[in-house]
Amino acid sequence: MTTLAFAILLMASLAGYALNRRAATGIRDGGARLHSVSNYHGLYALLLMLVPVIVVILIWLVLQGPVVNAMVMSALPAGTMDGLDTGQVDLILAEIRSISGGRIFGKPDPWKLAAAEHLADLRQLAALSLVLLTALLCLAIMCFARQKVTAEFRARQAVERIISGLMIFCSVVAIFTTVGIVTSLAFETYEFLRLVPLSEFLFGLNWEPQIPIRADQIAAAGAFGWIPVILGTIVITLVAIVIAVPIGLLSAIYLFEFAPKRIRAVAKPLLEILAGVPTVVYGFFAILVVAPAIRSFGASMGISVAPNTALAAGSVMGIMLVPFISSFADDALSAVPRAMRDGALALGATRAEMVLNVLFPAAIPGIVGGALLAVSRAIGETMIVVMAAGLMANLTLNPLESVTTVTVQIVTLLIGDTSFDNPKTLAAFALGMMLFLVTLVINIFALRIVRKYREAYD
Amino acid sequence: MDDLRAITRDVDINATKISARRVQVHYGDTHAIKNVDVDIKERTVTAFIGPSGCGKSTFLRCINRMNDTIDICRVQGDIRIDSDDIYDRKVDPVQLRARVGMVFQKPNPFPKSIYDNVAYGPKIHGLARSKADMDEIVERSLRRGAIWDEVKDRLHAPGTGLSGGQQQRLCIARAVATDPEVLLMDEPCSALDPIATAQVEELIDTLREKYTVVIVTHSMQQAARVSQKTAFFHLGSLVEYSDTDEIFTNPKDRRTESYISGRIG
Ligand SMILES: Nc1ncnc2c1ncn2[C@@H]1O[C@H](COP(=O)(O)OP(=O)(O)OP(=O)(O)O)[C@@H](O)[C@H]1O
Ligand SMILES: [Mg+2]
Repeated sequence: MTTLAFAILLMASLAGYALNRRAATGIRDGGARLHSVSNYHGLYALLLMLVPVIVVILIWLVLQGPVVNAMVMSALPAGTMDGLDTGQVDLILAEIRSISGGRIFGKPDPWKLAAAEHLADLRQLAALSLVLLTALLCLAIMCFARQKVTAEFRARQAVERIISGLMIFCSVVAIFTTVGIVTSLAFETYEFLRLVPLSEFLFGLNWEPQIPIRADQIAAAGAFGWIPVILGTIVITLVAIVIAVPIGLLSAIYLFEFAPKRIRAVAKPLLEILAGVPTVVYGFFAILVVAPAIRSFGASMGISVAPNTALAAGSVMGIMLVPFISSFADDALSAVPRAMRDGALALGATRAEMVLNVLFPAAIPGIVGGALLAVSRAIGETMIVVMAAGLMANLTLNPLESVTTVTVQIVTLLIGDTSFDNPKTLAAFALGMMLFLVTLVINIFALRIVRKYREAYD
Repeated sequence: MDDLRAITRDVDINATKISARRVQVHYGDTHAIKNVDVDIKERTVTAFIGPSGCGKSTFLRCINRMNDTIDICRVQGDIRIDSDDIYDRKVDPVQLRARVGMVFQKPNPFPKSIYDNVAYGPKIHGLARSKADMDEIVERSLRRGAIWDEVKDRLHAPGTGLSGGQQQRLCIARAVATDPEVLLMDEPCSALDPIATAQVEELIDTLREKYTVVIVTHSMQQAARVSQKTAFFHLGSLVEYSDTDEIFTNPKDRRTESYISGRIG
């Protein structure tokens, strides 16, 4: 039935479009000068119908369920619901619903059967009224839109207003999602900070996020200092950037300036495939190839290396970021005007000198912006580190030791049965909040630089 | 055209600096230069004129092998500077470009300081032995570019912060800093206002004392004002080449005549 309603709406709006268009064309053929071309008159009818009626249908569908339920409940024989809590009421409702759906278990009470029948009737009625309502609304709007068609009617402006309204709506959705995420984070973080003091969280050097299971358990009170965790993130991010920036940059420069056409045609798409590899797969690579390689190399040098090292996770993450950096560098390099390159070449600079002295300095702000964005991606990256870095928070800057990161901790804190009244679970939100703030600052910084650089040649 | 003052200076005593024979240039399938023969005299300003797309820039760019930087471009024929074949295998285009400077249509200073802009060429070619040496080269070049007085107090300000005319003179200074023998200019005044144009034209006239200058221009007045020799290109061919006053007062070819009187192009 809902499908029918949508079908009616679609047909009606197309009909409205045709109707208005023809009417407008008729006016024009009659010799009058239309303010807007007839297409806009048609679009006006179409949008005027499509947008509000879809909204009405959606609202109807959302409200239908609760309203029908309430009606069924209020029609039950008096006294059946007395003294039941909401859980039991829901249970009865679910039973009634499954009976009306034809799934009857055992021998239900007769009043339940009656209620189920009532529910089915009500549903039918609701669907029918939805279709009727849609048809009526469409008809009304069609008449309204049709009567609007005159030579002077500014259909183009009206259509543009509706469309810009839609666009505003979409951007508002995006903004509100962000706001929603941040508020939910902020709320839980506030809860966390009521249990653990802010100073301990920010400056504590220990991260042992456990809670006592029994009240008399010894030495089980957790420690919630985020320093070791963020230190782990910093170490891994540093390793990743140290690997990604030179490789990404040099490969971009090579492909941009030196590579023969044929190599470029093959290598660029290959690099982009690298960007499309799921991070889980990078995680496998880190565990199965990189970590053992680092370990055995360390052993051959006589250095003891932990099985899960920051180096393994960070270097694989660095590989993941290579296409990111190189595509940013490529954009930055191609934004340098050709005149600049010609100027250097005409002075007798070799290509390498030209790249080094002219292209590269001119592209640096863009490259730095890209690198900063890569940093915030590395900080937020979860899968690779969950798989390849450790779980123990270690207060160390040594990349050959096992460290843990903010994202790994968030994952482990929220795995399994969790209740939202203890610091262990809430700590995940506090970490998330800090992560959000850090990446936000880095992103703002990066975007500033990128924007400044865009203005450089205009 | 009454204001075309014929510049009757005897340039024929000068030796030939650049000699081109049977030059053909293709961009992919486009035949841009067709069998051009020309002898360009030393210490002379030679103007290339002709309608848009006739191949002036292309031919100019053959002289310092800038066409090498365009993948699809193919140059055939024989171009000699001082009787050295510049397309010979042994010639390094990078060294050639130090001998043959180029100034572009749009001023293109590097986003560096004025000093570094001028010092760039000498630095990459190792022309200065010391800082004092470099300072001297920079000053001399800026003086030759007729811009020294305007920038001597702000040598370390960015070159991109100058006005368009100043930028173009800076680019000329940058080009002469490597002490080239030939200076190629591709419409050097087309982005400039009349005052800056006059300054650059005056500068070109003085450059003639030391350099062989080849200039592409769309302005017939400019060609008449600054050049001693003029070459008229049409559809990739060199139609007519002789003394500037000869071309403007007594063109031999009908196409030249119609171009300078404004009928084609
Ligand atoms: N990079 C290039 N790739 C392909 N074709 C080119 C290229 N540069 C020039 N051409 C072609 O070569 C021909 C000559 O171009 P050229 O730039 O030499 O003309 P021009 O005389 O300098 O014109 P203008 O006075 O407009 O600057 C034109 O047909 C042009 O389309
Ligand atoms: Mg040109």
